[in-house]
Amino acid sequence: EKDKEEDESKEEDSCSQQNRASRKKNYQQKNSDGKKAGEEGSRQRERGKKAPTKDQKESENKEKKTNKKEKEGDDKQKTDRKNSTTTSSNSSDEESLSEEELAMLMEQVEQKKKLISTMRNKPWRMMKKLSVLREAQAFVEKFEGALGKGKGKKLYAYKMMMAKKWVKFKRDFDNFKTQCIPWEMKIKEVESHFGSSVASYFIFLRWMYGVNLVLFGLIFGLVIIPEILMGMPYGSMPRKTVPRAEQATAMDFSVLWDFEGYIKYSALFYGYYNNQRTIGWLKYRLPMAYFTVGISVFGYSLMVVIRSMARNANESTADGDDDNFIFSWKMFTSWDYLIGNPETADNKFASITTSFKESIVDEQESNKDENIHLRRFLRVLANVLIICCLCGSGYLIYFVVKRSQTFSKMQNVGWYERNEVEIVMSLLGMFCPPLFETIAALENYHPRIGLKWQLGRIFALFLGNLYTFLLALMDDVNEKLAEEDVVKNITHWTLLSHHNSSVGNGSTATPPPLDPADVPRGPCWETTVGIEIVRLTVSDILVTYITILVGDFIRACFVRFMNYCWCWDLEAGFVSHNCLSPFLFRMGSFYAPGLVGINVLRLLTSMYFQCWAVMSSNVPHARVFKASKSNNFYMGLLLLILFLSLLPVAYTIMSLPPSFDCGPFSGKKRMYEVIQETIELDFPLFVAKIFSYVANPGLIIPAILLMVLAIYYLNAVAEAYQRANAELKKKMQMQREEEKNKRNNKASTNPVLQDLEDLFTPSTKSESHLKEAEDKKIDFPNRTSPVVKQDKAAALGGSPMTGGRGTAFTLPPHMFVTRPPTPHVWAPYPGQPRPRGYPLGPVPGRGRGQPRYSYPAQ
Amino acid sequence: MEKVNRSRDKQKGKKDTTAEVFSHSQITRLYSRFTSLDKGENGTLSREDFQRIPELAINPLGDRIINAFFPEGEDQVNFRGFMRTLAHFRPIEDNEKSKDQNGPEPLNSRSNKLHFAFRLYDLDKDDKISRDELLQVLRMMVGVNISDEQLGSIADRTIQEADQDGDSAISFAEFVKVGKLHFYLLNETAHPCFLHTLT
Repeated sequence: EKDKEEDESKEEDSCSQQNRASRKKNYQQKNSDGKKAGEEGSRQRERGKKAPTKDQKESENKEKKTNKKEKEGDDKQKTDRKNSTTTSSNSSDEESLSEEELAMLMEQVEQKKKLISTMRNKPWRMMKKLSVLREAQAFVEKFEGALGKGKGKKLYAYKMMMAKKWVKFKRDFDNFKTQCIPWEMKIKEVESHFGSSVASYFIFLRWMYGVNLVLFGLIFGLVIIPEILMGMPYGSMPRKTVPRAEQATAMDFSVLWDFEGYIKYSALFYGYYNNQRTIGWLKYRLPMAYFTVGISVFGYSLMVVIRSMARNANESTADGDDDNFIFSWKMFTSWDYLIGNPETADNKFASITTSFKESIVDEQESNKDENIHLRRFLRVLANVLIICCLCGSGYLIYFVVKRSQTFSKMQNVGWYERNEVEIVMSLLGMFCPPLFETIAALENYHPRIGLKWQLGRIFALFLGNLYTFLLALMDDVNEKLAEEDVVKNITHWTLLSHHNSSVGNGSTATPPPLDPADVPRGPCWETTVGIEIVRLTVSDILVTYITILVGDFIRACFVRFMNYCWCWDLEAGFVSHNCLSPFLFRMGSFYAPGLVGINVLRLLTSMYFQCWAVMSSNVPHARVFKASKSNNFYMGLLLLILFLSLLPVAYTIMSLPPSFDCGPFSGKKRMYEVIQETIELDFPLFVAKIFSYVANPGLIIPAILLMVLAIYYLNAVAEAYQRANAELKKKMQMQREEEKNKRNNKASTNPVLQDLEDLFTPSTKSESHLKEAEDKKIDFPNRTSPVVKQDKAAALGGSPMTGGRGTAFTLPPHMFVTRPPTPHVWAPYPGQPRPRGYPLGPVPGRGRGQPRYSYPAQ
Repeated sequence: MEKVNRSRDKQKGKKDTTAEVFSHSQITRLYSRFTSLDKGENGTLSREDFQRIPELAINPLGDRIINAFFPEGEDQVNFRGFMRTLAHFRPIEDNEKSKDQNGPEPLNSRSNKLHFAFRLYDLDKDDKISRDELLQVLRMMVGVNISDEQLGSIADRTIQEADQDGDSAISFAEFVKVGKLHFYLLNETAHPCFLHTLT
């Protein structure tokens, strides 16, 4: 601890010593100024009313000094001086002695300070410098404070202390702020190895983590924790109890792993929630909160993505000169200064080389295409093949999901049968992208375009698979809904019969309550959907990690020892790892609020895991990777995913009836009725009325129409701006070229002229103005007239020189001497008649310019 | 009085240039880095000390960056000089309040950053990047994989793009005008800020 402190002080000594020294000097200077003024002032006052001691006066003065400006002190000093000249002899010997001492001390302090500030330039060793510096600083510290006395000293010391503390606090706060950024150091470490492009991937991950943390806070804070704290406890209701038949195995790991048993009947899933309007002593409206949180999860994610997209769009307008400076851009900025790993550097060299080659080829052969028919054929073929792949994978998933539904009805099925869907989907996700890449080789696109195609196809694969999965699940849900009707009757009947039997037995009025575990209950399709999605998420996480661990590790070893061409493909990884999971997560979070916890955990672990994987085993790829927040292509993908994940949830909310005996919306016809209910019961009547008017289709349709019109209008405006921008850019370019040409011409014809032009132009602009100014400025008034005279003479074209004026005008500013028509008016056209008929030589630019300059010197 | 004030301001500005760019802890870290780089333990760094940093050893422009640390004709740099050069790499601070109208520009201002980058390319210090200088940079960046002829055409194209006054060289003003480059160099994330590799 102490060492550290010392270290710090040493640092400060050596690096910010000048800083401190000069600051002190400022103080000191102020101090001494004030003191001088004060001393003299005190003497004056002394004469009038015998001031008690020197010390008090000084402290008084010092206080004054801190408050007053130096100028005031200065004024005072002046007035004082007049008096003090006569009275200075009056001051007592004793005081003058102490004053002398003070002055001496001050001088010494001054000296030491000078030493501190000039220490840097002294040719000493570091050690000596440090020791001398410390000594000097100690001295200054000790005696500077001693110079001030009494109350002023305390105030001064206090002020200094506060200033120091404030600075220290600010520094500490800054450090704290940087330390608060999670994983900053880890990302920097990755960055220093593999360059900023790889690091941007991790920055993106971190951003996703931040967004997910907010969602986590929303869901946990507003739904799960209130339910656990204030809701009915476990076992109090049928929906919160494991059924009798399952109780034996409810704690088995294999059951829990499939999210059955106790996990299924916990607050992590939709079915656990009760449909009480308010819970607990807070009268917390849980169903309402559940609904609004479910909606706001979507709202928040959409908003965040759109906001960052808009910010990117704003920023991207700054670099409009894209096309003009391709080569300069590549030349000056292609090296990534953060690369510190030799292998990465090799890759970077290769990528720079290819990019240069590409741009040369693009330049030379932009319109050269040898066999367009073959290429077209190949591209069509490739697309057909890929569509076949997509359809095949879709059908496979549909088939598997259907099969799993039959499996789920059978007893004692094996592990494979239970997890078939997840396994098939993961396998498809693993093997389809490389297949697509192979097929895409046929197409022979430009790499950048090819990459986008590739990403789009992978994306389509995942979405297609997910949607077939969802459709199959939908069938399942419909089946369950049909089943539910039957169960509903049975439940009613059971409850009724139980009641009847207890009444019929004629015992007491209150029958022994039926155990909640024994009540027959519906299938609760919401929980089923939630469980399916959670399972898919978990298997996705596992597959991702295994892929990273096994795939990348082995591949890295292979790359390291076998060949150098096979590199890590982050971009495909990006789509599969980071586009799939938000989709699943957003969709699932409505039916399984606990999913958000799993998701946060996933992001947390994947951050560390991928960092580790990158650092330990990866040889990064040569391609530029830009899947960061600042790339709107990826943000667009994310937005599309969010929107597509919104669709199924919105559909279920709007058009499927919720289960009758589980979840916060049970007993209602549709889930959204919870809003109507809240408005009717909790708001004043007129709000409900207004709401009913607003909800009228007659109002909604015009509103939508209005929005469409607004979008159309804004779009048109944006287009117009864009066109104007393009126009401006074109104009600017034309202007630049024009200027270039003009300059070229001029530079080749007459370089001296250019210099002249630079000199002349200001004079012609503000000629009269300048003349006036010069007239005033020149000290000897008699010389101004010849100037004017000369000007007039020059204008007339006569010979202006008169006698001894030349000696007086050693170097007059040419500004007012020269008053010709601007040379650039006629410079490009030497044949043009001269406006004022100069009699001088045939080469106008030079011939006239030179003598006019040489006049004064002669 | 005014004169005194002005000189004081100047002094303040001078000291501010490096001290305000870095925070206290950064200076501490920089100093410990400095001492760890200083193998000779004599309070100064030599070129060899810099070449031990992998990022600089790999960088095609590494030698030039190292040169930027050393004042004209010297081959030792002390901690202050070290800091002064590194100050160029600090990201620009956005807050307008800290901008002092009177004082000189901080070392990490836009134009100073650009100037620093410009000097990396301008070898003969004539305030122009000539075709030969570009060719040298290109050769360092792509090695032997591209023929001299192609390199020449790349250099020509670059000059053609950036050159505005027709002198077949890139002046600082033109360098600044290379639109996106400007943006890139000043961008915090993309800036060739290897500061933390040194710290």
